[in-house]
Amino acid sequence: MKLPDLMATGWTEIWAHKMRSFLSFFAIAIGIATFFYTLSVLSQGYRRIGRAAKISGEGRVETSTNHPLTLVQYKDLLGQLPEGSSLSLVTDDRIVHREWWNTLYHQQNQLVGAAAIGILPSWRDVDFVYRLEGRFINWNDVENKHRVAVLTVFPREQAVRKKAKRRPWWEDEEGISTLRDYSDHHHLLHQQIVLNDQTFTIVGLLHLPTENNDARLPNQREWVPTLYLPYTTWYDLYPSEDDTREVKIRVVTGRESLARTAAKGLVSFLRSQFGINEKPTIEFFYDKLQERLAHVRKSLNDMLFMGIIAMVAGGIGIMNVTMAVIFSRTKEIGIRRALGASRRDILFQFLVEAMLLGLCGAVAGMILGYMAVLHLAEDTSQMTFSWWVVVGSIIIALVTSFLFALYPAWQAAKLKPVDALKNE
Amino acid sequence: MVIAQCKKLVKIYSAAQDFRALDEVSLTIEQGEFVSIMGASGCGKSTLLNILGLLDEPSGGEYELGGVATAQMTDFERTRLRRHQIGFIFQSFNLMPRLSVLENIALPMRYTDKPRAEILPRARELAVRVGLEQKLYNTPLQLSGGQCQRVACARALANNPALILADEPTGNLDSTSSADILGLLQELNQSGMTIVMVTHDPKIASGTHRTIHMKDGKII
Repeated sequence: MKLPDLMATGWTEIWAHKMRSFLSFFAIAIGIATFFYTLSVLSQGYRRIGRAAKISGEGRVETSTNHPLTLVQYKDLLGQLPEGSSLSLVTDDRIVHREWWNTLYHQQNQLVGAAAIGILPSWRDVDFVYRLEGRFINWNDVENKHRVAVLTVFPREQAVRKKAKRRPWWEDEEGISTLRDYSDHHHLLHQQIVLNDQTFTIVGLLHLPTENNDARLPNQREWVPTLYLPYTTWYDLYPSEDDTREVKIRVVTGRESLARTAAKGLVSFLRSQFGINEKPTIEFFYDKLQERLAHVRKSLNDMLFMGIIAMVAGGIGIMNVTMAVIFSRTKEIGIRRALGASRRDILFQFLVEAMLLGLCGAVAGMILGYMAVLHLAEDTSQMTFSWWVVVGSIIIALVTSFLFALYPAWQAAKLKPVDALKNE
Repeated sequence: MVIAQCKKLVKIYSAAQDFRALDEVSLTIEQGEFVSIMGASGCGKSTLLNILGLLDEPSGGEYELGGVATAQMTDFERTRLRRHQIGFIFQSFNLMPRLSVLENIALPMRYTDKPRAEILPRARELAVRVGLEQKLYNTPLQLSGGQCQRVACARALANNPALILADEPTGNLDSTSSADILGLLQELNQSGMTIVMVTHDPKIASGTHRTIHMKDGKII
């Protein structure tokens, strides 16, 4: 019998026993829902990490030191790194206003900055997901300590969505909305902004992508509008009063194999400059990605286990139904054998019927799973569904129903036609 | 030409204390014959018919169908032979209750290599031949017993078999329908079909060329 005929026969039977069919594929549906949910979250995690790895640069090494590097030291260090490396120095995000510590705000017709980070032009070599309006900080700014700033601007839709949905506990509603409202209605480029009673000019706007399109890992993102100043200007703004200020040193070699060499160069340079007691902690970005990946996998293992249990339960359900079906249709098997059906035809007939049930379960399960993703997942804006999750779910359902229907179908195929025909 | 030939067929059911359902039965069916088998219940007529139809295997003896010995055949070979050479008509019709008349007639062709496009036209042709052109899309539940048996006859013809085996085809029918079905079988026989029919009814048997009487597993 050809596949379309087998499917038509199977579908007729499933439709004729709707309730029984529904019950038997229900467990499969729950299993598939779990798989679908897990696979969706997992695939999202993988994709996000993949995208993050792509824009974060290969062979990326990070460390920090409490000794601010001068521009001369910067150039020395760059010379010791593998050729073609990008070296970037980033200061910590200094809080200016204690009471408005987490944001910029608009006060008495004056833009007042809250957090500011000092950077070098090479900062934009990696993780640059922004759309730049105006210009970026350049070497001229750094060398001449220009009072210029680049400001991140959040996309408008995100503000709207965030208002409607959950709000992080730290988000200062008034401050954010004030600035966001302000940036929605005013053009911030070339405006003056006050930091520590000093006036800066905004020369560039870094338009953030929507959260969905932000390829960076969550811990690399800004959650508040941030001002970026020239590295040297930043030190002028915050004269050294304590030793706790940290400078992040970021090297991107362009090749993963050069990461260790760069790390060695970094350590020996820091020791040569700041003494033998300097013990910088080197972070390899690739390792961090792997750690993150392992974390994603680990948290989903339990879920997957539940899914497997549900699938086994579903498989047993399919097996039970197939056995009952074969018992009640023994006579039919006899008739079909008399009319010329081979053992293989009978075997395939019941396998196809069980697999159709599994397919129904998969479809129902994916709908359930999709709803679960929408309601349970922490960050639904990050959720997209890849085709392989859908295909994977269907394959899992088909394979499960195939495996569990194999034994009953084989029993049916083994029946002698004359014995089957006698059955009433 | 000989269509089917049995030599000393023996069938022993070991479960029932070596009950000999067939005891050295020899029989030859010529092409174009219309043979009836009569006998009391349990005399072995159905067993003989099942062996002729390759649904059951004999415990001993030889059976040749269309000149081919069947003793050493695998299940698949027997199935293939049955599919193409034999058409069955059962007492209780044995139609698929969920399939339409047309699909029921088409069913044996679904198990052959016949192209899908040719199956339904052929089934329609057969339905017309047995006079059911008005009932093509009805299910068996909407048909009378006589009509059901007509569907079964058409289905038996589907793969153009060499031999039609009918197991009490009129057993569940009233006398009018019985005469009707006998008429149809005679008509098929006249068009060249070889038919072997088991029956209890002497009147029906009298409408065939030859009647074989059986008793206790033997032909008498």
